Amino acid sequence: MTGCNEYKLNQGPEDTISAVKFSPSTAQFLLVSSWDCTVRLYDVAANSMRMKYKHSDPVLDCAFYDPTHSWSGGLDAQLKTHDLNTDQDTIVGTHDAPIRCVEYCPEVNVMVTGSWDRSVRLWDPRTPCNAGTFTQPDKVYTLSVARDRLIVGTAGRRVLVWDLRNMGYVLQRRESSLKYQTRCIRAFPNKQGFALSSIEGRVAVEYLDPSLEVQKKKYAFKCHRLKENGIEHVYPVNAISFHGTHNTFATGGSDGFVNIWDPLNKKRLCQFHRYPTSIASLAFSNDGSLLAIASSYMQEQGDISHPEDAVFIRQVTDAETKPK
Amino acid sequence: MAEGGDAEWELSKENIQPLKRGRDISVLHQALSQQQDGPSSAVCQQKQAFESELRIYNGDDPLDVWDRYVKWTEQTFPQGGKESNLPVLLERAVTQFTEEKKYHNDPRYVDLWIKFAKICSEPLEIYRYMQAQRVGGSQASFYIAWSEEYERLGNSREADKVYQEGFNNCAEPRDKLLQYHKALQARVSRQVMTTMAEKDSDEESNEPERLSLVDLKHRGKKKAIVPVNRAQAALGHNSRGLQSQGAPAPSGAKNSCFVVFDENKGPAAVTSEPKWESWAAPPPVRAKENAQKPEKWCDVKMAQKSRFGHKIVPPPLTKPTFQPYVEESDEPPRMTPCKINSAVNTVLSARKPRLEETPLKRLQEHRHLQQQQQQQETQGGKLQEKNMYCKELLFSGATEFCFEELRAERYRKKMAQETQPGQSSADPTNTETEF
Repeated sequence: MTGCNEYKLNQGPEDTISAVKFSPSTAQFLLVSSWDCTVRLYDVAANSMRMKYKHSDPVLDCAFYDPTHSWSGGLDAQLKTHDLNTDQDTIVGTHDAPIRCVEYCPEVNVMVTGSWDRSVRLWDPRTPCNAGTFTQPDKVYTLSVARDRLIVGTAGRRVLVWDLRNMGYVLQRRESSLKYQTRCIRAFPNKQGFALSSIEGRVAVEYLDPSLEVQKKKYAFKCHRLKENGIEHVYPVNAISFHGTHNTFATGGSDGFVNIWDPLNKKRLCQFHRYPTSIASLAFSNDGSLLAIASSYMQEQGDISHPEDAVFIRQVTDAETKPK
Repeated sequence: MAEGGDAEWELSKENIQPLKRGRDISVLHQALSQQQDGPSSAVCQQKQAFESELRIYNGDDPLDVWDRYVKWTEQTFPQGGKESNLPVLLERAVTQFTEEKKYHNDPRYVDLWIKFAKICSEPLEIYRYMQAQRVGGSQASFYIAWSEEYERLGNSREADKVYQEGFNNCAEPRDKLLQYHKALQARVSRQVMTTMAEKDSDEESNEPERLSLVDLKHRGKKKAIVPVNRAQAALGHNSRGLQSQGAPAPSGAKNSCFVVFDENKGPAAVTSEPKWESWAAPPPVRAKENAQKPEKWCDVKMAQKSRFGHKIVPPPLTKPTFQPYVEESDEPPRMTPCKINSAVNTVLSARKPRLEETPLKRLQEHRHLQQQQQQQETQGGKLQEKNMYCKELLFSGATEFCFEELRAERYRKKMAQETQPGQSSADPTNTETEF
């Protein structure tokens, strides 16, 4: 299964993987949060686990603040920061319901968390303390940061764009251009738009600029669908990750496939082999040389037996990720 | 506690929708106090708990959860409105079990249907649909609600027919149906008698009417009275040949063997009714300032006086013989730019608004879809799509769930099951070592 350009991480999580995130400074370190209540730090180059720390409940998301600090939150509704050098936990604060997303915005130097309690909270990572609570119209399912813009995807197919420098009002209220539940939103590295994936095999590319000419460029396409015996099986698209320099992005679906897309030319650049089970999370390293692929069943079709959860590290080439 | 609570309840009566079964006063206090604090997390959590129970319930009576959820919503959101989400909830609850024959005559299910019908714009359509689907055919409450709807519209004949049908279908409980039917008959017959009596009476119409522009004090030296003839809410019913329950018949009914007390009629019989008096002279002009006779204004020129009392005649307007110089940059100010460009807004909301659809239409479509699916499954039709996730579970409640939420509920349930036996057997270490 694993070729020379790809390998499976040792000492992987024991339950469903919720998120994989590369270190902002190097392609050597990878954070992995999981339903087994742990957050693990891997040395990817050495293929070994450096450390792990625990939450009291499953962890739904994690993020690097700087190369030595990780932040994570999950079902216990607690936001934790962990010093990766000294191996020390600090509970920063709590939400009223499980925390679904944790992101860091380097431009404004603020941590952002989204929760099922219908709120987004900002956290000052230096003190660390709460820097504001902002009510959203519905449960937060996904969020992404583009420079000082915060893009929040909630239940009810709503998309809200906030200005992190002035959270007094919502900059834009949008309706997802896809018909079904939003699974994932990720901002373009050039900060001009975002890709949004839905639960029924579709991805939309949208732009932040509300002017008519720019909005005309947005589009959506079908993907992660398999034809079997004349029936088209439509899978959720769970993960999106952008390549930092090429402005291309990878999508992962519950069909176990990873596709790489060129949004400008509207082309699929390549498709990798089929992974054992659903793709739960994807992450390009900061230099774009590695792609971390979490193949992990998320109980989309109920609590049934499934292949083992695993994180694959794949070396990607320009041929696979660069627009032609 | 009672003092403060009572006052609060008194102050916000207008925010409480009446419920047929009444409200639990303690829940009402709680709900009202929570409203002042804004959307509280306790309510959200309770709602989330119901939503997850809807999904992970695996007993043999799923209707029970819906029933409790609806009742909780009614009690917790006394003001009704959008945040209660009650219409959506009822619609989902009702559509959920259209295929479940065992619930079709369950009093709780029929009750949900009736509540649903009452919030729809066309309740009669819903009742007819229920009848066609054989929902509530043997429930007295169904016929009562249906009949009441007809009665409300003033169609007492149809209202009666509905009861007849209820008897034909042996609706239970029969006593209740009988009782309500008798009440209906009594109301109708009283109504008929009233209208007959009104025709019989020689006096000018007894019909209550609003007397406007009469003095509150009666003229003359008689004692002061206030006209008590009020336009009743029942007026509308009267004209349509029905009177609401309990409304007393006017005392003019000569056929009746006893005089029915009428609060509207009573005082009027003692004192003479206020009469329309013709005015001998127009009312005196009160000191109106600047009273002026109406006249054409457009070609009237007001004479202007100078400081010295001479009249100034304005020079006739003539066009200047020269072109006034206008600087090029001195353009008239443009309109202030519109901040919200409507064109842009439509761009951001990509989906077109859906066609107006009634709940009934959705119901029928839902059924139609189900039948189609069954057909396709048996026929093995052309290219069809199959969702590779548990769509029913995510969208079965009044609000949607994502995979993670669903899984979180499963996780919590599992944890609760694991900790309970652990505590009873006093072996907590066992659960810990599993991780």
